Amino acid sequence: MSNTIENEDIFQSHFLAEKTTDEPLIRVMALHALAYCERLFYLEEVEEIRVADANVYAGRRLHEELDKGSKKYTLELASQELGIRGKVDYVRTDAGELIIYEHKKGRSNKGNQAWPSDHLQTTAYGLLVSEHFNRPVKELRIRYHADNKTIIIPFDLDKAKEEVLNAVKKARGLRSSLGRPQVSVPEKLCRACSLAPVCLPEEERFVEEEKEKPLRLFPAEDEKRVIHLLEQGAAIHKDGYQFVISLPDGNKKSIPGANVASFVLHGNIQISTQAIHFCAANDIGIHWLSYGGHYVGALQKGAGYVQRRHRQYETFHDPLFKILLVAKLCRAKVENQLKYILRATRAKRSNETQGQEALQASINSIRHEIKALARIEKSLSKTGNETITQHDKVIGEMRGHEGRAGREYFKALTCILNLPEDNFLYFNGRNRRPPRDPFNALLSFGYALLYKDCVAAIQAVGLDPCFGFFHTPRSSAYPLALDLMELFRVILWDMPLIASVNRNQWRKQDFEITGQQVWLNKEGRRKAISLYENRKREKWKHPVLKYSLSYSRTIELEVRLLEKEWTGQPGLFARLRVR
Amino acid sequence: MSADKHWHLVCYDIRDQKRWAKVFKILKGVGEHLQYSIFRVRMNKTQLEKLRWQLSEIIDEEDDLMIVRLCPACAKRVIDSRDEEKWSESAPSFEIF
Ligand code: SF4
Repeated sequence: MSNTIENEDIFQSHFLAEKTTDEPLIRVMALHALAYCERLFYLEEVEEIRVADANVYAGRRLHEELDKGSKKYTLELASQELGIRGKVDYVRTDAGELIIYEHKKGRSNKGNQAWPSDHLQTTAYGLLVSEHFNRPVKELRIRYHADNKTIIIPFDLDKAKEEVLNAVKKARGLRSSLGRPQVSVPEKLCRACSLAPVCLPEEERFVEEEKEKPLRLFPAEDEKRVIHLLEQGAAIHKDGYQFVISLPDGNKKSIPGANVASFVLHGNIQISTQAIHFCAANDIGIHWLSYGGHYVGALQKGAGYVQRRHRQYETFHDPLFKILLVAKLCRAKVENQLKYILRATRAKRSNETQGQEALQASINSIRHEIKALARIEKSLSKTGNETITQHDKVIGEMRGHEGRAGREYFKALTCILNLPEDNFLYFNGRNRRPPRDPFNALLSFGYALLYKDCVAAIQAVGLDPCFGFFHTPRSSAYPLALDLMELFRVILWDMPLIASVNRNQWRKQDFEITGQQVWLNKEGRRKAISLYENRKREKWKHPVLKYSLSYSRTIELEVRLLEKEWTGQPGLFARLRVR
Repeated sequence: MSADKHWHLVCYDIRDQKRWAKVFKILKGVGEHLQYSIFRVRMNKTQLEKLRWQLSEIIDEEDDLMIVRLCPACAKRVIDSRDEEKWSESAPSFEIF
């Protein structure tokens, strides 16, 4: 054999083909995804969302272990003519004939066939190898390790070319389109798909088929932990794959990197560049808050998410679309406020208690605003885009209703808290910059924590937090994060906070009062963070999707549902309500 | 897609010092060092498969690796001279320093 595999310069053809082509080559593994599900191909190759699940890692390990045993040849090949490139793992010569081997961790198709995606993948390898050695491959062998079956497929050059070129054509078409393909594969495939938690196919089927309850493919809980650093002067370093936290008193604590979801640095906390790099590489969030509790910024990793952002810009430019979202959001916010007040005052309203009349008046006013919002929403859904000429005016109206309801809501909170005026937590209306009483300081601090999680969720989904639909851009805050927060203020902070006040969990010593301003001191922050983080991990049942998940996961879920509003499956965003 | 986590004991015998050090470093990133070549890690299926893959890149055929999954009841019954109660509790979802 003149052309032996061993002494071939394996990178040459790959390198050249990559250089001369205008259209980037398609990875053979991407063709594998394409044959599995077009949407999977789109999410991975175009939107660049990749999620490795247990199967992916198990597959990699299989290859790793095979490498140690038998002698094998790895070829990195590319073909400009075909428009593909890929790494062929096992090529063997058998009596001078070339044979392609592919190992799969799972089971074969009915014990005697290859799965279509595996078939396409190996066929593409066959073509690459044929072209490279300029002689045809004899056969393809796919070994399925789970049921220990080897499927042998004779190689037919013309047929193979036709199959692969068709797939490449389809792949190119998808790559140049802006629209994400709809869910169109059987449920069974989604269940085994690593992208299910971001694709949320079940939620789409739920809307479409009005199923009773979607199968849950979205994780119910966060698996890692949030690390808050309050101790001024503390520092974070990296040591191998772990973080080392050094406290000013000389104590050190190491935390395995795999256990950390994010760091929240309150005030004067150091973090080393190496630690920041490690966080960026491993999707660990970093959030900087000022000591006063203002959000300063977050670690935002490299570029990407172009398609998703592009679609976001386009849709948020559409005035009617934006108005409809505002309507949904306002309704959700105000209805949650009302539901909470009704729930918290059930006993109070049935007895003749002090302030009962004022409370009832507030409730009536909020109901009134909800009706007004509902009327606007109804008239919106009837009209087309052309007929609404004064978009800003309509949004202004809704904002007015939401604002008035908000003021009544805070009035009602004063009744719910029911503290005497001389109590240090006495609350008489919202004030913020800076908070002027302890209760307002608590509200502000909790909202800052919530804001942090909203930013993180938006980043995780890959949307642009700068581009919102309800809040107008302010330089200091991300409008989309503020928009999203409206869904969660009551559920994630007001409710647990008021419950803690009623349990007498706060003391004057938790606050620092300087002139007109009130801050939480270290002990106070510690309590507030625990209250908030514990609330986040509480599970609840999503009122529309009917499965239970933690509040923390709910934030991300809502962002994904928001994105669905403009990627083909609207109708699920902002439907969560206080029970 | 289960997010269920379990305690696992990871024990290894690595014949080469360099490989041993690499394995040690990786395990430090996912769990706690208990004894000379024994770690405990709390992981779900995906994390475990990722770890197995990472280790398979390092260890050689002559090395040994053993991973034992402990059910919650077993984890509670662990007799550990260091710090007993920690085996049963689920890991905290947040920490404050
Ligand atoms: S979850 Fe289903 S629809 Fe979504 S990418 Fe995976 S296989 Fe395709």
